[in-house]
Amino acid sequence: MGLLQEIIFGLVTGSYIAIAAIGFTLIYGIVNMINFAYGEYISIGAFIGFLAANTLPGPLPVAVVVAMIGGGIVSIILARGFFTPINHTGPVPMLLTSIGLGIVLRNGLRLVGGRSARYFETETSTFQFDAIPDLPVGPVDLLGDFFVTSEQLVVVGSAVAVFASIHLLLTRTDVGIAMRAMGDDESLARVRGIDTQLIRDSVWVLAGVLAGLAGVLMAVQTNVSADTGFSHILQILSAAILGGAGSPYGAILGAYVIGLVLAVSTAFLPSSMTGLSSAVAFVILIAVLLVKPSGIAGTEVREA
Amino acid sequence: MSVLDRLPSGRGDRALIAGLVCLLLGALFAVTPLRAQLPSALYVFVEVGILFVIYGILVLGLDLQYGHTGLVNFGHVVFFAVGAYATAMLTAQDTFAGIGLGYPWPLGLAVGVIAAAILGAAVSLTSIRLRGDFLAIVTLATAEIFHSIFVNFENIFGGNVGILGVPRPIASLVSDSDTRLVATLLVLGGVTLVTLAVVTRLTDAPYGRVLRAIRADELVTRSVGKSTITYKTQAFVYGAALAGLAGGLFALYNGAVAPGFFTIQVTVTVWIGMLLGGAANHRAVLAGLSIIMGLRLISRFALNVTPVSGDVFASIRLIVVGLILVAVIRYRPAGIWGDPQELGVDQ
Amino acid sequence: MPSDITERVDRRAFLTLAGSGGIAGLSGCIGFGGDEESGDGGDGSGSDGSDSDGGDSGDDAPDTIVFGQPGALSGSFDFLQPGVSQAADAAVRHINEAGGPLGAELELVRRDTAVDPQEARTVATQLVENDNAAAIVGLFSSEINPLWDYLQDLRTPIVTPWPGSTFLDTRGGDKGTPSDVSDDEWVWRTVVGDTVHTGGSAVYALEEGFETLGIINGNTEGERSYVDGFLSVYEQNGGTVAERVEVELGSSSYQSALSRLFDADFDAFLVSMPQESAITALSDWSDGGYGRQPILSDTLAQQAVIDQVGSDLHGAWVASPGRSGPSYDTFEDIYNEEGDAEINGWTPPSWDSVQVTALAIERAGSTNPEAIQKNLGPVSRGEGTTVSTFAEGKEALANGEEITYRGAATPTDFTEHGNVFGSVTISTAESGGFVETTEVAAEDVREYVAEGEY
Repeated sequence: MGLLQEIIFGLVTGSYIAIAAIGFTLIYGIVNMINFAYGEYISIGAFIGFLAANTLPGPLPVAVVVAMIGGGIVSIILARGFFTPINHTGPVPMLLTSIGLGIVLRNGLRLVGGRSARYFETETSTFQFDAIPDLPVGPVDLLGDFFVTSEQLVVVGSAVAVFASIHLLLTRTDVGIAMRAMGDDESLARVRGIDTQLIRDSVWVLAGVLAGLAGVLMAVQTNVSADTGFSHILQILSAAILGGAGSPYGAILGAYVIGLVLAVSTAFLPSSMTGLSSAVAFVILIAVLLVKPSGIAGTEVREA
Repeated sequence: MSVLDRLPSGRGDRALIAGLVCLLLGALFAVTPLRAQLPSALYVFVEVGILFVIYGILVLGLDLQYGHTGLVNFGHVVFFAVGAYATAMLTAQDTFAGIGLGYPWPLGLAVGVIAAAILGAAVSLTSIRLRGDFLAIVTLATAEIFHSIFVNFENIFGGNVGILGVPRPIASLVSDSDTRLVATLLVLGGVTLVTLAVVTRLTDAPYGRVLRAIRADELVTRSVGKSTITYKTQAFVYGAALAGLAGGLFALYNGAVAPGFFTIQVTVTVWIGMLLGGAANHRAVLAGLSIIMGLRLISRFALNVTPVSGDVFASIRLIVVGLILVAVIRYRPAGIWGDPQELGVDQ
Repeated sequence: MPSDITERVDRRAFLTLAGSGGIAGLSGCIGFGGDEESGDGGDGSGSDGSDSDGGDSGDDAPDTIVFGQPGALSGSFDFLQPGVSQAADAAVRHINEAGGPLGAELELVRRDTAVDPQEARTVATQLVENDNAAAIVGLFSSEINPLWDYLQDLRTPIVTPWPGSTFLDTRGGDKGTPSDVSDDEWVWRTVVGDTVHTGGSAVYALEEGFETLGIINGNTEGERSYVDGFLSVYEQNGGTVAERVEVELGSSSYQSALSRLFDADFDAFLVSMPQESAITALSDWSDGGYGRQPILSDTLAQQAVIDQVGSDLHGAWVASPGRSGPSYDTFEDIYNEEGDAEINGWTPPSWDSVQVTALAIERAGSTNPEAIQKNLGPVSRGEGTTVSTFAEGKEALANGEEITYRGAATPTDFTEHGNVFGSVTISTAESGGFVETTEVAAEDVREYVAEGEY
């Protein structure tokens, strides 16, 4: 199969990561913390979605909506309980708190949800495109036959819908504009009469909603367990920082870079190194931080 | 002790003397027919004690980086792992998988320290200018990359099996298990105490004041003509080298290394220990580490008296560990014995 | 057994000496002494005191005997633990109903290692030294290998149902000399090693005419060990590997790895991954319409795999060990009374490990770890009365007969390295589950493993 197929795989993987990375990076931009427990938010979303899918009538989208609402509620409760009280202490104590909270939530989920993985019952149809001509450049075929599945289309479609909504939110609504103002300069925003705590709360809810959506999408593709989100947190974090922490647009870009790198490196690395694809993503992250520490598009993160 | 108290840098010197006494006693058990007897119920405490003194070297190095200089290294385990692997690969004989060169162990230990220091230098040269939480991410990612590499390249690092057949200098000298445990604890504990003495000297000196000034306010420190980058790099490399030493000692104590010994759990444990005790205070971080490791050990015994089943219990234990971390940061941000003013934290 | 008698006399003399040495040792915490042997395991402590006069008769047996079971109550293999725990619990109940070893109450203490070697070390120490476990009936490859030296120092028999690692092929067991523990290694496994059952799978693949193979496997020890075992037999007998792709576990998609794999030309492909990642990968495979014959590793013989992947998987086959022992049916009856955990490949071996260790205690007449180690071989090998459970074995031993335990997973005929051979069952995926289609006999598999190499 050709590069085209790999790019499709990369775009799909990137879409999962992008939805979560937007939530992650919004928290970073507004609350000024790296939330390491965000993977658990995703797992919680997956569990809520799974519960809804098995108890409520109606199709999967109903469960997705329930998971998004539930994710938002959980997120604001956790923020009020754990993060808002220590908002003034700076990024490092908040990062450490989120690591502790992550351990608590992950094992709490294990305790409540049990050990074995659960699965969403979904049907997937595949669309094959067979008559595509090859376009070889050296050993690499740029076109070639490819396929997409309905599930992949849903994932990419959801991601695009999220991007559009976030863009509208940030540019057309008062809350969104206030968010951007606060991301740029919090004290200035406060001077201008923005209720910073309200904005922070809105960001927490929004991040939780996105985590709920990402959780269900990831769980449909893999499974529902206490580790559903945790196993992706480093990719999400890499995507957010790669794109320039705090910038939703950067996070989208970063997520697709990571997704494409994962796909292409698995396809083209020597076979003894195919198990290293996520390490390759981290190498890129470190390289970007060194060359352009502000990320592909974003703020200065060096202090000296 | 009253004489020692009057010495100028008394704290460090007492640790040094205690460390040398431990080393001497340990050597006595190791090379003479002198034997110790240990009730078997205490074995598990001594085992965890040995691990504690090894992690103690880790936490002292981490405290030099974070507590004294403010460098947020969240991949400390990678330096521990690199030290352990370098030592193991240089000294192992007949390893099942991976490389074992069979050189004498002192050389292996030295190379372990140097390898960790080199990695520390590489990380700090590239990343030390990053803001605190981004340095955390870079170090975390570095640890993940190395973990993947150790797992993936089976022919070199032995994959998940790791490197086996590492010589155990103390075990080879002492054949009975009671004495071996006691001697190991004394020797490794001695090394930790000597390390404590050295870092105390370092941080009590004017050098340490510069480090803490960087932590408090880097701009001001730079404005009085100190090259803060040089100081930060040095502190980072010292911490990495100490972790390498701990890794080398671990390899020579355990007789094998494997990726399973070097997970993010190690980083989390030493971080919690450091924050619990109180960063920037060497003895406090050791005490904090002993609390968290002691709690974990004692909670193992609690299984016998709790009504819940083993698998529920396993999850609850970890939840409690997480809650301790959260609670310490919130309610005692300077740790139990830390100095809030020195750390510059609120409350 | 004249050699045994002299051995016992020597042992008694030794224990008397050691006992007095222990008393002398107790009077001071530190003593000088060059007596090498009496140093092991703490002679001054209570655990040895009880058998210093009961070494051969057992009439002074303790009230309770403890087996320690380190387990994956959390961590990467926790989904297999319920079956293993239930089998061990069923075995303990059965043994106690039969009167218990030496008339004592058998008790199982289970502690979590989270499949972490550092935790395992603490747990093993705690089980042996604090819970006074006479033997350990657990531990995984990834715990045993890096703790090898430590486990030898522990000098307590470890009879484990878990490890498949080729590392243990030539390590462990009594080296064919039960009465001489000096050359012993203290690890025994009641589960067939990867070398053997993957060999069975490879033999079957070749018989079916699959001469070239694609492989996708996780980059962890168990998965690699499985593939390496498979390939050593497969390639030796004329099979070739067209492409092998290693992947990280827990990814959200394996499409890239699959497209790389299926670019190569082969007849069948081998999947060696843990269940959750394998379901993701096989679902991707099904979605991609790649086709060809799947061969699955033994951990994947689970209903959930078929349910999730769907009908494309029908016809895939798995070679699994561990359900072919002569007394499997006996085991299954007692097991099902205990609970409803699903039986997996490690469930019957868990039953066997408790049974055979209890029988070794019964024959030894002692709970001394060394005595158990010496009797694990004699109760499992040779020509004695065939017994399928502890109850039968206890009766036969009481009648003065020698016994040979024939287990549930395998015949449990320990090799010199403490390994077992067993036939390999080939099961094929159908809509209702995995159905046994054929069996590769233990003798056939044995042909491919050199004598003394396992």
